[in-house]
Amino acid sequence: MLAILDREHSVAQPGYNRWLVPPAALAIHLCIGQVYGFSVFKLPMTKLLGVTKSAPGDWTQFQLAFIFSIAIFVLGLSAAVFGKWMERNGPRKAMFVAASCFGGGFLVAAFGVHLHSLLLVYLGYGVLGGIGLGVGYISPVSTLVKWFPDRPGMATGLAIMGFGGGAMIGGPLAVLLMKFYSSGVSVGVTETLITMGLIYFAFMMFGVFTVRTPAPGWAPAGYVPPGTSQKLVTTAHVSADDAWKTPQFWLLWVILCFNVTAGIGILEQASPMIQEMLLVPQATRGIDPSNTVALAQATAPLAAIAGGFVGLLSLFNMLGRFFWSSLSDYTGRKNVYFIYLLLGPVLYFLIPLAGRMGSTLFFVTLCVLILTMYGGGFATIPAYLRDLFGTMQVGAIHGRLLTAWSVAGVLGPFLVNGIRDHQIAQGAIGVERYAPTMYLMAGLLLIAAICNYFISPVDERYHLEKSDAEFPEILTPKKPL
Amino acid sequence: MTTRSHFSEPAKSSPGWLIFAWLFVGLPMAWGVIQTILKSLALFQ
Repeated sequence: MLAILDREHSVAQPGYNRWLVPPAALAIHLCIGQVYGFSVFKLPMTKLLGVTKSAPGDWTQFQLAFIFSIAIFVLGLSAAVFGKWMERNGPRKAMFVAASCFGGGFLVAAFGVHLHSLLLVYLGYGVLGGIGLGVGYISPVSTLVKWFPDRPGMATGLAIMGFGGGAMIGGPLAVLLMKFYSSGVSVGVTETLITMGLIYFAFMMFGVFTVRTPAPGWAPAGYVPPGTSQKLVTTAHVSADDAWKTPQFWLLWVILCFNVTAGIGILEQASPMIQEMLLVPQATRGIDPSNTVALAQATAPLAAIAGGFVGLLSLFNMLGRFFWSSLSDYTGRKNVYFIYLLLGPVLYFLIPLAGRMGSTLFFVTLCVLILTMYGGGFATIPAYLRDLFGTMQVGAIHGRLLTAWSVAGVLGPFLVNGIRDHQIAQGAIGVERYAPTMYLMAGLLLIAAICNYFISPVDERYHLEKSDAEFPEILTPKKPL
Repeated sequence: MTTRSHFSEPAKSSPGWLIFAWLFVGLPMAWGVIQTILKSLALFQ
């Protein structure tokens, strides 16, 4: 029965509408993007025993923070490890594995919550769910670039936009479900995790049965392959095993790593940053500092307002993925990365200024623009890889590149929290707590811009013979390496 | 050994299916966007 998942069963019939592939990809990415909304479980999961408040034996926020970190780390790792398997077996089987692991991860985590076993939650949502994240993230990429050779940036941008938007659905959905299931003796986390696991599995199965791969040699009507005028866009193919021997792969790795690290500079501290830079000074203006009651009353609603700011960042992160990646089809990938990596530093430099001016609108505008480019960096990478390495194993190459995300996921919070703690220890307040981080992130983007400058076409010796590229099981370099 | 046809499943390319597919993913996304915008309005009040 599982033969229906095989690659040969998912080849499209003539007349299949390629515009069915983006919703199939979105069905996967909208689900796995939930990982960014996992924080809504953190507070309830610190009260599993005490229900109304934390009791002795309840898990701490620190312990729970590892669930997300493990999931993101395993995402990068599994994308790298399973990329070639995914290319061999096709998107349908990969999406099915992703749905099973991601949905199954919720169920194992629910069992862990029920037994009050944190290890089981780590293994369930973190490891099993993380494998679902990694395989799911890369599963539609090479299929989309093959269906949309004329607009690969737009196609992958559409799918990866779903990953940015997943938290906007998963967060409120989890809150609604926990409210529904909670009672005097339970915070409703177990039931919520089970329900979400089943919903996500079903939703992802829609993607599994809708996705199709194009027949060999298929091209959209009127499509003309890129000529010599677009020198970075190759019609040749490079295998995943050869791709990471090229300097281009590692230059892109640094670009992605630093772009993600810079984005984390905003995302990791968005809520305290807007409160300490703008909202608290505005709300407490004119209040006597010794009047603690009045100060507490004035600052009480600020956390919720900051939550709205974090939501807005997610929205623009999502929109940027589609907008910038689509734009790259017209400007070229290298040029759009120059926009991210040269405009980005200017915006980071202006953030402390916006804080000193006390302008919420200016500050929010800068942050949302940065987040559009953070998302754009993620979404445009698959098309950049396709330009440089061809379509044959672009999903597997993309998977290996995502190890940069894993590294940034560790490096980013380490830098951001380290600098903030140092500034606090030095007695810095308000804007000055965050300004050094912003300048550092601007510097990282400038280094990435230099890397982007050095990207050139991949050496022909890495190109595969045409006949080999049509039969990816037999991979032979064009010239001896 | 038998050779399987590449085209072993019916195509699902009717306009109705296309609309359904986009609504299937578009409606939850729109719900999420609306929730986010509503939550962020307080920022500018």
